Amino acid sequence: MSERALPLASLVPAQLRELLRARSLVLHRPVFGRRLGRHRSARAGVGLDFRDHRAYVPGDDPRRLDWRAIARRERLVLRQTEAEDELSIVFATDLGGAMGYGKAEAQKLSYARSLVGGLAWLASGQGDPVALVTGRQGAVADALARPSSSPERLAGFAEVLGDVEPAGTCPWLQLLEAMTPRLARRSVVIVVSDFLDPSGDGQPEDDEADRALIGALGSIRARGHDVVLLQVLHRDELEFPWTDRTTLRFTDLFGLRKPKEGAAASIREGYLEAVRSHQHRLAERCDREGLVLHTVRTDGDIVEAFLGLLARFEGVAPEGDAA
Amino acid sequence: MSFLAPALLLGLLGLAAPVIAHLLGRERPLEIRFGAMRFLPTAEPSVTRRRSLRDLPLLIVRLLLLGLLIFALARPATEHDGGLTMVAEPHDAVLLVDGSRSMGLRVEGKTLLEHAADQAKTLLSSLPAGSRVGLVTTDPDGPRVDPTADPSRVAEALDRWLERDVPRAGAWPLASSLPAAARMLRENGSSDRKRVVYALGDRTEAGLASLPTSAEGGAIVLPIPAIDDDVPLPEHIAIIDLQWEPAPDLDPRAARVDAMLQRFGAAEGTEARSATVGLFIGEAEVARAAVMLPPDEAVPVQFTHTLLEDADILPATVALLDPDNDPLPSDDRRHLWLAAEDATEIAVVNGDPSELRAHDEVFFLTTAVGAHNEDRTVRVRSVAPDQLAERVRKQGAAGLADIDVLVFANVRAPDPAVAGAVIERVRDGMGVFISVGDRVEASAYNRTLGPVLPLMMRGPVQVGTAPGRTEARVEGIAPADLGHPVFSGLDGDVGLSGTVARRVMLLEPDPRRGASIALSFTSGAPALLTRSVDAGRVALLTTSIDRDWADLPLRPGFVSLVSGVLSYLGDTQSGGVGARLTAGAVRRERARAPVVFVTPQGTEVSLAPTQGAVTFEDTFAPGHYTVRSEGAQQAVFSVEVDPAESKTRRVESEAASAEGIEGRVAVNVPQWRWLVWLALALLGIEAVLRWRSRTAVS
Repeated sequence: MSERALPLASLVPAQLRELLRARSLVLHRPVFGRRLGRHRSARAGVGLDFRDHRAYVPGDDPRRLDWRAIARRERLVLRQTEAEDELSIVFATDLGGAMGYGKAEAQKLSYARSLVGGLAWLASGQGDPVALVTGRQGAVADALARPSSSPERLAGFAEVLGDVEPAGTCPWLQLLEAMTPRLARRSVVIVVSDFLDPSGDGQPEDDEADRALIGALGSIRARGHDVVLLQVLHRDELEFPWTDRTTLRFTDLFGLRKPKEGAAASIREGYLEAVRSHQHRLAERCDREGLVLHTVRTDGDIVEAFLGLLARFEGVAPEGDAA
Repeated sequence: MSFLAPALLLGLLGLAAPVIAHLLGRERPLEIRFGAMRFLPTAEPSVTRRRSLRDLPLLIVRLLLLGLLIFALARPATEHDGGLTMVAEPHDAVLLVDGSRSMGLRVEGKTLLEHAADQAKTLLSSLPAGSRVGLVTTDPDGPRVDPTADPSRVAEALDRWLERDVPRAGAWPLASSLPAAARMLRENGSSDRKRVVYALGDRTEAGLASLPTSAEGGAIVLPIPAIDDDVPLPEHIAIIDLQWEPAPDLDPRAARVDAMLQRFGAAEGTEARSATVGLFIGEAEVARAAVMLPPDEAVPVQFTHTLLEDADILPATVALLDPDNDPLPSDDRRHLWLAAEDATEIAVVNGDPSELRAHDEVFFLTTAVGAHNEDRTVRVRSVAPDQLAERVRKQGAAGLADIDVLVFANVRAPDPAVAGAVIERVRDGMGVFISVGDRVEASAYNRTLGPVLPLMMRGPVQVGTAPGRTEARVEGIAPADLGHPVFSGLDGDVGLSGTVARRVMLLEPDPRRGASIALSFTSGAPALLTRSVDAGRVALLTTSIDRDWADLPLRPGFVSLVSGVLSYLGDTQSGGVGARLTAGAVRRERARAPVVFVTPQGTEVSLAPTQGAVTFEDTFAPGHYTVRSEGAQQAVFSVEVDPAESKTRRVESEAASAEGIEGRVAVNVPQWRWLVWLALALLGIEAVLRWRSRTAVS
């Protein structure tokens, strides 16, 4: 492992770090970068790979005339090559209380940290600038909001994500307001959260906060940025494993709601139905807004989850989305 | 407050059971800190309710009711000083219970005897382990239990005794039974342990106040009042005395009946209270009177009544007419017999009539009798020997039937026919008094009245004429034998010490005759002898009753001597119409045939004579008694309660002390009343709360 990666060692598990050595972050679309990078540029550049020919216009660099093509076509043509630009990746990470659910590696924040750390490391290794904006306890931390590819940026990531304890709610709109002005052209915005309760005190039928968040992300998408919603969920939140007559007493990780009690069996159906409905609405809204929703479960293998995420970046449709 | 069954209070721990069961039984929820609270349905009310106390006030009230039940089962009681002092170490004890009439005073719904029994049971239950206890009562017929280690035997004996009609009308001072209690302790107790007599009674003079602080044998006497000293005693009215006398000034057959009433136990300074008292002849009320009774002051009431011609003896009763609520009813009536004639008939046969009083026996006799005859209970008449012989010749022994005492004063000797009638009458109860003189012929007496004479006569002798005797030619009278019935009621010098006798009748000693010497000369010769012959008595004075042989009539004791002899011979001490006994006293009746006693209740008790007399002991029922015997005139007597037992006022007595070894008996008074009220109140609250709870649910 390179020395750059050392600050992220605490975030990224060893098996993922091993994987990252042989991987690169590839985006399925061309990018516009300020500097040369590893990503295919949306414009012709000075790369090595042939792109196409175009007619010479005065002012073109005569060194780029393709003499063989001029001979074949009997007119002045220029040889154009593919350019490779850097990709600006911005991580908007939810550090609200709900991200604290789960234990050890299965904790949502821990899982998210691994993925974010891995992506950041991978991007940074390619020279891509990365940025990080987090929201916790109703406040936004935007010290790392400006994308940077400096070696110190990963240390900043490690510092922000390292020992933080999820608490309170993430003020999504403030976070996006802080992040958006600093986005480079056609950046990739990776929003990491569980997206189950953006406001922290919403009701199943009240999705005002959900719509507001998706709407805000949709407007970012409309500016040409790629927006990926990395939804990190715990198995319990998806499957509600308590099935017997055990009485459950739920206390709110946001600290905003009163505890709720009930027999597991009697709660389960209603809960799962509500979650399914919510996920369905979320997926629909993302599709409508052109957002990429990628859901991972914290009980899944982190390597596979990471590979799946890289595949989504490369444009591979997720399993089960064929339909 | 204490508990008689304190161990049951452990049951109060059970109160925690419902709460603990609730706390343990309610499902402990699985605590989950969750982020997706948004999708959880609202809390299930049933689950929440099941896990919370639905009606805390109702739970509290029901727990209190449960606690109250446990509290009641533990038998709460307040411990208060039972007013009893007892020896705190194991000891031998005897309960001495006063069974006299004053214990019949009703206080707070129970007689003092019942209160005393309660105190006794308290004491029995509090005796130190290892103690032995017995029982003695002042009532001779009461229970006796030798000291036993089982106090329940004493309690049972007390209970059986109380089931009888006690207390009886007897008057037995507590102190009179103390020797019996001490003897019981001495004979049955252990010598190395404390011996204690617990005396239970009232604080009257004859009750606890009569007791010393220790008994024979060193036994400690601890008085225990039947009721606490701070409990006020109720006042009561008693007829403390009843007398009657003929009232010839009103009518030859009239009688005055004098009753004395007294109000006992009234607080000082209280106003006089009226009472109505009536005179009953038989069952019929013949007179009544209202009288005002100041506290503790005897008030006389007098009735007069004239006996009808067809009745010589009538039972009379003076009774309170409004005795309701009198706490001591036993003294609300007294009884006596009224008679048109009630005098002892004394016939004096004068064998030496003289116009000179100094030599007239009848003069001295009538004078002596008259001095003691203010109430006209003795009637003396003089009879000449010829008159007596004529009556006997005509009527036989019946001619002497109206004579109670026949006096032969210096009579030569009775005619043989008269003597036979006299002997017959003596055997039936008549008294004969023989005084000698110059006319007396000893041999004739021996011949005619020999069977009844105390001793045979030898002949008169001049004092100091014995051979070789040169000192004073007179005899003095030696100190009298005060134990003889003739001197009953006298004490000390009888006033005959200066008597000078110049001539005396010598007698033939004969111990088989059973003569009793009441008076002797200084030489030792008998001066006055008596003898009981069947139902009669005979007295013989061995000197003259006039001044012929001695100056006895001049001595101050002569009147008492004559009165005593005539009373003894006439048996007026226990007989006659006016005879009255105190309840419990023994009635002796001279008789040769079986005697039937009829009690006030009509019960007939037949008794056979022993040594010429019968003894009737069951005189505990106040009222009129009649005595029938074959061949004898019907006798009557009445039984009265002892007025001393009517004095119920407390008398301070010296407190006995067993310092250092005494303890106080604590009496546990069960506390039920407030528990009942509390339980009712809680039940009421519980009902209200339950109703409210149901209303709220519906």
